[in-house]
Amino acid sequence: MSGTWYYIFTLAFFLFDYFILAMGLNIQYGETGILNFAYIGFVAIGAYVTGVLSLPSSAGTGQYYILGLSLPFPVNLLLGGLTASAFAVLVALIALRRLRTDYLAMVLISLSLVLYDVCNNYVPLFNGADGLYNVPEPFAAALKLNTNSFIPFFAAVTGVIALFMWFVMSRVTRSPAGRTFRAIRDDEVVAAALGKDVFRQQLKSMLIGSFYAGIGGGLLIQFSGSFNPTAWLPGETFVVFAVILVGGVGNNIGLLVGALLVETLLVHLPAFLPAIPGAPGLIEYFDAVLIGVLLMVMLWFRPQGVVPERARRAASFGVKARLGTAAGELAEHVGSARAPQATTEPVALTTEGSGP
Amino acid sequence: MTSVTMPETGGPGDGSVILRCEGITKAFQGVHAVNGAAFDVVKGQVTALIGPNGAGKTTLVNILSGSMTCDRGHEFIGGTEVTNWPSHRIARLGLMRTFQLSRELGGLTVLENLLVAPHQQPGESLFNVFFRPRLVKRQERAYVERALDLLDTYGLYRLRDNRAGELSGGQKKLLEISRAVMVSPQVLLLDEPMAGVNPALIDRIGGYILDLQRSGVTVLMIEHNLNVVEQICDHVIVLAEGRTLATGRLSELRQNEQVVKAYLGEVIDAGTDR
Repeated sequence: MSGTWYYIFTLAFFLFDYFILAMGLNIQYGETGILNFAYIGFVAIGAYVTGVLSLPSSAGTGQYYILGLSLPFPVNLLLGGLTASAFAVLVALIALRRLRTDYLAMVLISLSLVLYDVCNNYVPLFNGADGLYNVPEPFAAALKLNTNSFIPFFAAVTGVIALFMWFVMSRVTRSPAGRTFRAIRDDEVVAAALGKDVFRQQLKSMLIGSFYAGIGGGLLIQFSGSFNPTAWLPGETFVVFAVILVGGVGNNIGLLVGALLVETLLVHLPAFLPAIPGAPGLIEYFDAVLIGVLLMVMLWFRPQGVVPERARRAASFGVKARLGTAAGELAEHVGSARAPQATTEPVALTTEGSGP
Repeated sequence: MTSVTMPETGGPGDGSVILRCEGITKAFQGVHAVNGAAFDVVKGQVTALIGPNGAGKTTLVNILSGSMTCDRGHEFIGGTEVTNWPSHRIARLGLMRTFQLSRELGGLTVLENLLVAPHQQPGESLFNVFFRPRLVKRQERAYVERALDLLDTYGLYRLRDNRAGELSGGQKKLLEISRAVMVSPQVLLLDEPMAGVNPALIDRIGGYILDLQRSGVTVLMIEHNLNVVEQICDHVIVLAEGRTLATGRLSELRQNEQVVKAYLGEVIDAGTDR
């Protein structure tokens, strides 16, 4: 496989993986309004758990980690996703029940830092700052894949998983459950006044989103074969935020566009560009600058993102269109004149002056 | 508190009390916004809650609807004590509300604002979404039909696909009422439904409220427009400094010196021989 194809399949993997990560954050932030600044922590949990479930016992490997069960793919991946979800429930029970918006965001970003420090410094957990490595490549032995053939194979596997997860997420977001999430995003107080158990719904959203984070993280460690704390610095959460803000909050297709623009073109492509003479390594730091500039431009000129959230029209519910009755005309008369031939009789309340 | 004779039931109710508050008290850093408010709302009636600005009316509605907790006192809906229950549980008992400043779900369409209202929809369960899609679809169609009927009645049909955030102030008031009606509430709390709307629309909203009363809904509304109160309300509760000052018909309350002093003031002076 030529170097160009290697790059293309690597970029394709990151496109699909970040699409999954963006869908997870989008249901939390874009659909339910939860500012989860610890999102990358849930990605890391998924990655580490997938890794240690896939690796053999740590004895004699030169690494220190828990578990080491040699579980096959995708069992380890699913368990990685479920562990991230379980952790999200724990966090939600502590933080989400009592805190809202800004305060919740502060607690979550603190949680992200604590998680990072624990994983970085407590070596017996996930091998500390060195992280996990030599993680077995899924199906590589069974299909006799070498490094060159594994990359396109696993990019395709990730693509299929992303497609399936997109289908599932679309069903959720287009269902009444998704509508309730968006109601909570727009106004928690109103949603509660309409009989919605806001905490329970937010918990559900955290659970789904964190499962996606865990799966995305698990795919990362399976693709690269290694994962260490430099891969999930707390600031990485904002790259996923940039994906959904640029692509379009609340729109799954927008997330794919966002993943393409931000993760594929801005984060990974510069690493493959030739070095600037006299400043080797400089180009790799351009991604943060470019993402920052792109975010500012988008928020200024197109805050709804490249592909905005779509309004669900009445026709899409499969109910036949009807002609509005005369009362329906009122909509056009509000603010100008009394509606003609109303179905509900108006009462003459305004003929005299009102009270104090 | 001055007690004035209870009026006869104007609507289809049986005269029983559907909403009762006893000694509701709420203080913010030592300042009592509500200070022992106590009154009954009779089933099937339209009851007005009036009082000067700062009397604690909106705080009381927030407490009654569960948006806020009280420090002391008791609230009963249809005989069930619901003191300090969370909003969603009170709503599921059949008490719905609107807000003083309209709070539409701006990112949702007008139709979706109504569709989100029914409690515990089958489609809110992810199990049903994936494993009982026919049930979800059937229920969703029923909700859509009802929502479109209501939008038609309330004059918002043509705006059904617009985002709610794009509506005018008057349209938002109508949307809030129709959204609350979507779940066929037992009790409807309206926080200044006539505030900031044009005279023609005030007439229409008044008509809608009387229609709701005829269909069996009990209405408790905060209102400053005394013409509206006089013509559509069976009963009036006057709140001042967080306490229930008096209750009765508006015509009776106009003769009550405490009420005149606290709230009615100059308007009554002009019409009476004092």
